[in-house]
Amino acid sequence: MSQSTAVPIRQSDPMPKRAPGKWKKHAWGYLFLLPAVVIFFTFLWLPIGKGIVFSFYHIDFVKGDTFVGWDNYERILKDPEVVVSVKNTLYYMMLGLLIGFWVPILFAIAISEMRRLQGFARIAAYLPYVVPLVVLYGLWRWLYDPVGPINAVITKIGLEPVLFMTDKAWSMISIVIMETWQSFGSALLIYIAAVSSVPRDWYEAAEIDGAGVWQRIRNITLPSIKNQIVLLLLLQLIATSQNFQTQYAMLDGGPNNTTLTYALVVIRYAFTRQDYGSASALGVLMFLVLSLLAIIQYRMSNRKEA
Amino acid sequence: MKAVERGIISDYDLKKPGTRTVYYLMVLTVLVMVCTMLYPMLVIFFNGVKLNTEVNSFPPTFWPNEWHFENYHNAWNYIKLPLFARNTLFIFAGNMVMTVLVVGFAAFSLSRMDVPYKKFIQYFFLLTLFIPPTTYIIPNFVNLRDLGLMNTFWALWLPAGANAFFLLLLKTFFDGINMEMFESGRIDGASEPRLYFQIAFPLSVPIFATLAIFVFASAWNDWYWPSLILSSDKRYPLATAIYKYVINVRRLDLNLRFAILTMITFPPVLVFLVFQKYIVRGLNMGGVKG
Repeated sequence: MSQSTAVPIRQSDPMPKRAPGKWKKHAWGYLFLLPAVVIFFTFLWLPIGKGIVFSFYHIDFVKGDTFVGWDNYERILKDPEVVVSVKNTLYYMMLGLLIGFWVPILFAIAISEMRRLQGFARIAAYLPYVVPLVVLYGLWRWLYDPVGPINAVITKIGLEPVLFMTDKAWSMISIVIMETWQSFGSALLIYIAAVSSVPRDWYEAAEIDGAGVWQRIRNITLPSIKNQIVLLLLLQLIATSQNFQTQYAMLDGGPNNTTLTYALVVIRYAFTRQDYGSASALGVLMFLVLSLLAIIQYRMSNRKEA
Repeated sequence: MKAVERGIISDYDLKKPGTRTVYYLMVLTVLVMVCTMLYPMLVIFFNGVKLNTEVNSFPPTFWPNEWHFENYHNAWNYIKLPLFARNTLFIFAGNMVMTVLVVGFAAFSLSRMDVPYKKFIQYFFLLTLFIPPTTYIIPNFVNLRDLGLMNTFWALWLPAGANAFFLLLLKTFFDGINMEMFESGRIDGASEPRLYFQIAFPLSVPIFATLAIFVFASAWNDWYWPSLILSSDKRYPLATAIYKYVINVRRLDLNLRFAILTMITFPPVLVFLVFQKYIVRGLNMGGVKG
């Protein structure tokens, strides 16, 4: 064998594990990890564990905590606001997909097809992402005003003005439109990177075989960016299930609780009613439900592969 | 024939009238999108230099009738922007130090050092990614209270070291550095901290720059969480102060409001426009989070 000379060298292990004198090396390794372990424990695992404990207690900063058993869970499961907020959150997640999810895919394909001004369009789309969130709240309150610029256009073309913020049917839609406008640029960059890494010859070959533009998009471009689509879909669903800041800042859950999301109920329980125990219970409940969904999803995807 | 640069649509397709119309419609859609992106940005600026009566007029004007730059003077006197900006920079600097020292050290150890039970420690860090924020936001608040960190910058700085996403990014980047660099450093007798600061850190400037963008963006943007843990003007970051004193007050004139918003919008926008090439490259390196 031509490689036989290499064998004896491989057999002798140059660095036996845990040789005396090597302890220093491990010590350094653990020393490097120590601050992170302490910090992850104190600021993530400890609160997560405390959350589970708190959910069985009535928390009082002055008089001290008292054990209340399942009372907190009973309270939140009987609370009509919690039921409403679950519905709202699901509705919000669905609107996010209907209004927002396809926008960056569409524009990624369109922009990467443009013969000029590509860079300009990309920068313009990303720009709102750079603007601080609080500025957006101020800006969109004015844009959505009953006598604001959007309504000026709507009345000019002869339609009834829309009460974007105070109309119960519109409030959540308005919030989703605003968030899509603000954040689709970041997804756009990811899709553009994916679309432009598709080999050009594939299109050339497809064209020679007589595939039209639409067929090329459907059969080459979209399958090539499938991974990014699935990943961003998951990330968007996770993110929207946790959102509350826009709803809180723009409308405080109103009008008539139509923009009250689950996370906003958690916030209300904690900081409006000072009921930290029930708020923790809501958090634990969300964790259980999401874990259950993750397990089901995992089982199903495994079955498909088998 | 030499291979031409092409997209999904080829030059030949563009000669067909049907495809041509679709192409131009597509370009038009993108341009409309660009306008809807730029219009609100300009509105922030233009509304900031109008008279208050003009901002409130219907139908709203786009171009200001008169330019009132004294709005900026009044806005400057209304709110102590330099103080709040300083707080934001404080928070950013502290969070960045924590990222480099705590997260960076841990990532380096996991990636490039010989540590027994590495798998277990890695799970200890990365499993936190699966806990939804809604679950621990309230206990986290109570915990910070119990630790006596309320109304201190430490309540923001210390938890900045507990970022499993950054840890993953850094570890992946360190994994890509040539192992022999560290071996030769070790043979030459360099201590592990020296290896980190003199080899790993300088070679990882691109990924740290990416993280700096993320850290800065969150320090500049976060208004809700700081408003819970901080409770004095001396410590509020810019975003929280703007929310409390500009967005959430009824009495403030709209034109002054927009003048203030202009002042805090355009610094990051200008930085982005100047460095956009590097920033976009960095964001791509950071993968998906944006």
